Amino acid sequence: MSELKSGTFSIEELENVQITIGSIVGAIEKAAEEEGDVGPTAKPGISDLRDWDYKLLEKYNPVYTPMCDQCCYCTFGTCDLTGNKEGACGINMEGHNAREFMLRVITGAAAHSGHGRHLLHHLIDLYGKDYPLKVGPSNIIAPNVQLVTGKKPETLGDLDDALDYVEEQLVQLLATVHMGQEGEAIDFESKALHGGMLDHVGMEVSDIAQISCLDMPKAKENTSLAEIGMGTIDPEKPVLLVIGHNVAGVTNIIDYMEEHNLSDKIELCGLCCTALDMTRYRTEGGDVPKAKVVGTLAKELKMIRSGVPDVIVVDEQCVRADVLREARKLMMPVITTNDKIMYGLPNRSNDDVEDIINDLKEGKQDGALILDFEKLGEVAPRLAQEMSKIRKEKGVTALPTDEEFKELTSRCVHCLACELDCPTNLPISDSMTSAAEGNLSPFEELHDKCIGCGRCEQACPKDIPILNVIEKAAQKVIREEKGKVRVGRGQISDPEIREEGVNLVMGTTPGIVALVGCSNHPEGTKDLYRIGDEMLKRNYIVIVSGCTAMDIGMYKNEDGETLYERYPARFLKGNLINVGSCVSNSHITGAAIKVAAIFAQRNVAGNYEEIADYILNRVGAVGVAWGAYSQKAASIGTGCNRLGIPVIVGPHGSKYRRALIGKPYDEEKWKVYDARDGSEISTPAAPEYLLTSAETVEELMPMLAKSCIRPSDNNMGRMIKLTHYIELSEKYLGIMPDDWYKFVRTETDLPLARREELLKILEKEHGWEIDWNKKKILSGPTTKSDVSAQPTNIKRLCKEAC
Amino acid sequence: MADVTKNLKVYTTYGPKNAKPAQPAIVAKMITKAKRPLLVVGAEILKDEKLEKAIAIAQKGIPVAATGHTMKGLKDAEGVDAKYINIHFLGSYLCDANWQGLDGKGPYDLILFLGHKKYYINQVLSGLKNFSNLKTIAIERHFIQNASMSFGNIKPETHLEALDELIAEL
Ligand code: SF4
Ligand code: SF4
Ligand code: SF4
Repeated sequence: MSELKSGTFSIEELENVQITIGSIVGAIEKAAEEEGDVGPTAKPGISDLRDWDYKLLEKYNPVYTPMCDQCCYCTFGTCDLTGNKEGACGINMEGHNAREFMLRVITGAAAHSGHGRHLLHHLIDLYGKDYPLKVGPSNIIAPNVQLVTGKKPETLGDLDDALDYVEEQLVQLLATVHMGQEGEAIDFESKALHGGMLDHVGMEVSDIAQISCLDMPKAKENTSLAEIGMGTIDPEKPVLLVIGHNVAGVTNIIDYMEEHNLSDKIELCGLCCTALDMTRYRTEGGDVPKAKVVGTLAKELKMIRSGVPDVIVVDEQCVRADVLREARKLMMPVITTNDKIMYGLPNRSNDDVEDIINDLKEGKQDGALILDFEKLGEVAPRLAQEMSKIRKEKGVTALPTDEEFKELTSRCVHCLACELDCPTNLPISDSMTSAAEGNLSPFEELHDKCIGCGRCEQACPKDIPILNVIEKAAQKVIREEKGKVRVGRGQISDPEIREEGVNLVMGTTPGIVALVGCSNHPEGTKDLYRIGDEMLKRNYIVIVSGCTAMDIGMYKNEDGETLYERYPARFLKGNLINVGSCVSNSHITGAAIKVAAIFAQRNVAGNYEEIADYILNRVGAVGVAWGAYSQKAASIGTGCNRLGIPVIVGPHGSKYRRALIGKPYDEEKWKVYDARDGSEISTPAAPEYLLTSAETVEELMPMLAKSCIRPSDNNMGRMIKLTHYIELSEKYLGIMPDDWYKFVRTETDLPLARREELLKILEKEHGWEIDWNKKKILSGPTTKSDVSAQPTNIKRLCKEAC
Repeated sequence: MADVTKNLKVYTTYGPKNAKPAQPAIVAKMITKAKRPLLVVGAEILKDEKLEKAIAIAQKGIPVAATGHTMKGLKDAEGVDAKYINIHFLGSYLCDANWQGLDGKGPYDLILFLGHKKYYINQVLSGLKNFSNLKTIAIERHFIQNASMSFGNIKPETHLEALDELIAEL
């Protein structure tokens, strides 16, 4: 008998019988075996990578900065844990905070994996389990999945298996949050790292499923540019606004609009990652994106308050809880489409389309839950057309008139309550004074830094709708908010890694700077433009995703160009690439895994520890989540950390309450093995942290250059990286960094143009011995110059140990 | 005299142990008594006239940890012993009894904070409050509840006045 395969088939002579085989036990395992080696940790359980975590945590110590000094998890408490006291169950402040951090990580991972699960069910329903995965010209089609589960997925059905594993592990992790489970902080830390790793599997599943089925770009260079910004939306047309992260149902809206020639007649636009994924939908062949992007979560309340949308469709994640309440005031029906967000709306999934549209346009209901995407595809655009007419006829206005604006700004009694409650303490009170006097520029400036949270309004004793005042004052600026965002390209392909991997490992491409995360930037979107521009000019590869990919395209130079227009988009030095939405972050870790696999020929499947060790020691990559606020950002960052990639968050990120910071002054901690013979070698503290925050963009710049230094850099690479570190420190802090000399192993590591000057400093200030005839360092460096050394943290990988 | 302790409203974080309100004269006394004080100056200081106040305090012989890119404003100031450090790193090192300080001369016994973002410094201080025995004093415009002592929520002009009083008493 021939071998059974999964899928649906009929049996000859039994006309009406169809047999569906979901999955065959052991089939993928068998395929994986045929593929080649599977490493020691395929589908690791919670304890399987604990040794690796302990190695990381020994170097990079958890730093807890609690937000609340109590624990109120169970009714045994509430317990005061101030000063690392123990609660009634025996857990101390460290343990509880590690537990909380882990909870944050698995919450983020669950959001991505839950999204992936929904999407996968949907796509399997449409395309079947045997639908092949198509991600571009790569053999490693799912680096995270392969690394963690030990199996190479080929079909949608294979992704199901990976997601089963993630879900099972997340339940195990969640169980440990319960009172009376894990007692030591260090093991909560290991569990948090486990959760972060799972997150990247969950994200990868989500993204490669949609890339494969929804004709999204597949590792494509120079994808098209989509329009972004509130100023790009034409309020004269019916406006259909989509908010969230899960594009599944929205594809039906796009299809319906195309089939009925409505694409030019309705303004379809989105907020957050659904918007980015709409621009990816069916643009594989370079087609024009089928929707516009309004922006990030920071624009959500502002966009609704503008009164422009006629209908709002929400799916899941990063959707404000008050969308329905806000929309109701402005006669915008809200359609919820996913069981994660239902807002108490009636389920109309089984009702007639005409009935739903009539009820909503007559205002009988504020909105509807529609889980049938065929219906959603028809209801949303038709309703937007109807509501546009109705709302225009009724003259629904949102922002204050000029007279009202004057009254509101004069009503302010300058009590400062709003400023104290504003997450960034923005100068609202003084801006009110200026606005009342006719000067709008303070509010215009404030608008870009304002994250549209509405907390100020909740605090104001005079009931001033402060956000509306800001938005009214900034109308001129908002109309000009017209940027560009490059359509997400998906993975970095194997051939691209082959081309650039060697430069990355040698250090001649100074590093990868991955700008990710949300929109809580301390000084507005300009921050991202500055970071991107500086690092791109210096030939770093800058990778963006999610809300950062949007915000970086909101800012333009004097010539009106965004960074996307100024820099090319290949995986090469000095290029700016957008991988896609939030779940596309898995392609950033994926690229690092591929460097180890392709450039260094390391086995990927089930070989987590070895690959992470390789990345930590050799791949100069750093993640920056400058405006991070979601739990997802915590899980993304933690997944990077377990894989050996350091991450810097902006000042708001300190509210994650846990960092991983090393102690460079404790030199014993920075020894590693040389894999050639198992001997111990000293390395500089590079990277010196796995998770930390930076205070300002200026501080961040030299930190980025330093964060890309790795023990295995060759001399040319180290010279290039050190040059950037010193130059950026001088440019932005006005000083030579204190520790630059610690990265010098030999004179050829020194920036070429300044070699003599630096040798003098080494001799004079650090007592190094220099042969001035040959301009050579004779003694001084703590790290030996041996570029063929093979640094590793894992004894078993050393030749002698085998 | 500037009364800086009237408004002690705590905003977004919570703990049973909050900073004691402190008037400038008391802070000055504590600094004078300390053996190894450290002034941690944040980059918000570069935005207004408080920079010169920070310099004046530093010129009284108090070493400075310049966080963010504060060095830009301090590097050329005469009589100021300032070194750059990332504030999250500093918060971590300060909890380590083996850390010998920015100059290697031994652990600090009193840490002053000026020129920081409210939410950011409160986080850093929450680490010090819970995991060290250090005395920490915030001389900011906001009540920083996770310090051992702090000015209250005050108006910018009161803040400048309070800093002047403090400098005069050092
Ligand atoms: S989980 Fe422990 S520390 Fe928390 S409230 Fe319960 S007994 Fe107290
Ligand atoms: S809406 Fe803007 S101004 Fe108001 S509290 Fe939030 S960030 Fe501050
Ligand atoms: S809370 Fe209201 S009244 Fe007070 S300063 Fe702010 S806007 Fe003015």
